[in-house]
Amino acid sequence: MVSQDFVLKNKMGFHMRPAQDFVKAMSKYSSDINIKFNGKDNNGKSIMNIMAACMKCGAEITVECSGDDEEAMLAEAAEMIENGFGEE
Amino acid sequence: MLQGIGASQGYGIGKAVIIEDLSLDYSAVKYTSAEEEKARLQKAMEDFTVETRVMVEKLKSSAGEKEAAILEGHLTMLEDPFMQSQMSDNIDAGMTAEASADTVCTMFYEMFAGVDDEMMRQRASDIKDIKDSLLRLLLGLNNIDISAVPKGSVLIAKDFTPSMTSQINKENVVAIVTEVGGVTSHSAILARAMGIPAALSVLNATSVISDGDSLIVDGFKGKVYTSPSDDEVAEFTAKQKAYLEDKEGLKVYFGKPSVTKSGVVKKVYGNIGKAEDAQNVIQNGGEGIGLFRTEFLFMDRDREPTEEEQFEAYSTVAKAMDGKEVIIRTLDIGGDKAIDYLKIEREENPFLGFRAVRYCLKNKDLYKKQLRALLRAAYYGDVKIMIPLVTSLDEVKGVKDLIEECVAELEAEGTPYKRAPLGVMIETPSAAIISDLLAKEVEFFSIGTNDLTGYTMAVDRGNANVSHLYDTFQPAVLRAIEMTIKNAKAAGIMVGMCGEAAADENLIPKLVEWGLDEFSVTPSSILATRRAICECE
Repeated sequence: MVSQDFVLKNKMGFHMRPAQDFVKAMSKYSSDINIKFNGKDNNGKSIMNIMAACMKCGAEITVECSGDDEEAMLAEAAEMIENGFGEE
Repeated sequence: MLQGIGASQGYGIGKAVIIEDLSLDYSAVKYTSAEEEKARLQKAMEDFTVETRVMVEKLKSSAGEKEAAILEGHLTMLEDPFMQSQMSDNIDAGMTAEASADTVCTMFYEMFAGVDDEMMRQRASDIKDIKDSLLRLLLGLNNIDISAVPKGSVLIAKDFTPSMTSQINKENVVAIVTEVGGVTSHSAILARAMGIPAALSVLNATSVISDGDSLIVDGFKGKVYTSPSDDEVAEFTAKQKAYLEDKEGLKVYFGKPSVTKSGVVKKVYGNIGKAEDAQNVIQNGGEGIGLFRTEFLFMDRDREPTEEEQFEAYSTVAKAMDGKEVIIRTLDIGGDKAIDYLKIEREENPFLGFRAVRYCLKNKDLYKKQLRALLRAAYYGDVKIMIPLVTSLDEVKGVKDLIEECVAELEAEGTPYKRAPLGVMIETPSAAIISDLLAKEVEFFSIGTNDLTGYTMAVDRGNANVSHLYDTFQPAVLRAIEMTIKNAKAAGIMVGMCGEAAADENLIPKLVEWGLDEFSVTPSSILATRRAICECE
């Protein structure tokens, strides 16, 4: 398993659109992805889980990927999150 | 007369069409086999996808891309692997397709509805919409066809789901009435996007009103008049005509200068609370931003925003306004606005207590982050810094000292910045009384009439026993305004106004006469304010 910590930068956090894009991107990989936030686990391939976790701007999260393509998966997740999902 | 919340402006006169909720009772459905139930669920999901795609296209033309995107999101939600696997597990455990869809959607509904966040609650209503559609498809029921209602219909429903609103034909629907929802609900946003008057949260509307009843809906005040008299119908028909003409007539003021008949040029700006609202000001013809409230950056979160986050927000607005003036007010909080991590104690009299600049000067680290972010943002546009709740000269000097410290730091670091002009908000009687002295210390004033009226009259506008005294036209308030403007003029500095009074068409002639330079109003009032100025001598 590989993991990395992040702080959400975009103003709206993980709302509908970023969650949608994120889930789409992560579903390409066979590995599992877990987003830890406030001590809870959230399936990173589930838009419902992600949105219900209500991760806003400034949220401190840990992304854990495990499986055959975990490295590539985490790299893409990191890029999306650090770019603020292309939002301000 | 029924009272609700006015959620979309205009008056609608027509006949009631009650939109009944379908009965989605599936208690008579018997479990067949897991394969059979899964196949039925699969079919319903496929039909849902086809149906939704059609509605998305319809909505794009009737309400716009943004609204259609909400409905498009329903597809992503339903494709959710977690949601799908839960439904499938339930069927394996012996549930019918209906019960399984109901259980899983309800679980998510409760998850979203319980979150203290307006956007999340909207998602809850999206999920309810998905659930109802799935159950309807599983039960083989026809969707209620709203698109076929006759001309002059007033639609009455408990609530309008996104899929229902997508079918509204704005040619035939004169108003919308619901039993639930507020100004930020989906129904309200759509009604405004389509320009249909709406009264929401009208209690028991679907039971009190009958199909075919004559109705008048006042979308400004949220009132619904049942069985109106001929006189009332005539009155509101005339009002609606005047409203539409007025709206049309205001369009000619878009892009025009705000200049009086004798040729004096004024500035009409917009007030905003969020960076993205800057677009709203531009779209409404605003010439700048006269008040950018920064509290939102600090609220609804568990720690203070970093300098970087603030810089992002301020510079975004500065860039969006493309060289136009942007007046940003520093943090205006107190014991009445609970921001837990700031640990401001509850006070007996928060309005006379530890708030705004008083708080900021005692929390220099926090305030310096904001000032640094503002100075840095000033590099990217015409940013001005405004101090709220000033009551003494020392406060202005205190802020100036902090700005000097920030400038020295930024200079030493080599970070790009610009010295942003400093101004004060005149919103206390003390500031108005010493406005001649303040004018020598700062580069502009902005009169905040809402608080100036409250503090001058010593009245809480929320207290019904005394609220009649809350009146900007009270001579004491008018004198404070006049004095402030005259003192600014004498010192040769710019003076604006950013309270509700700046858009008051009865007050504007006086403000123009006294020499007010800038009028900052809510974006939707910009054109009407400009017209009032253009009509002044």
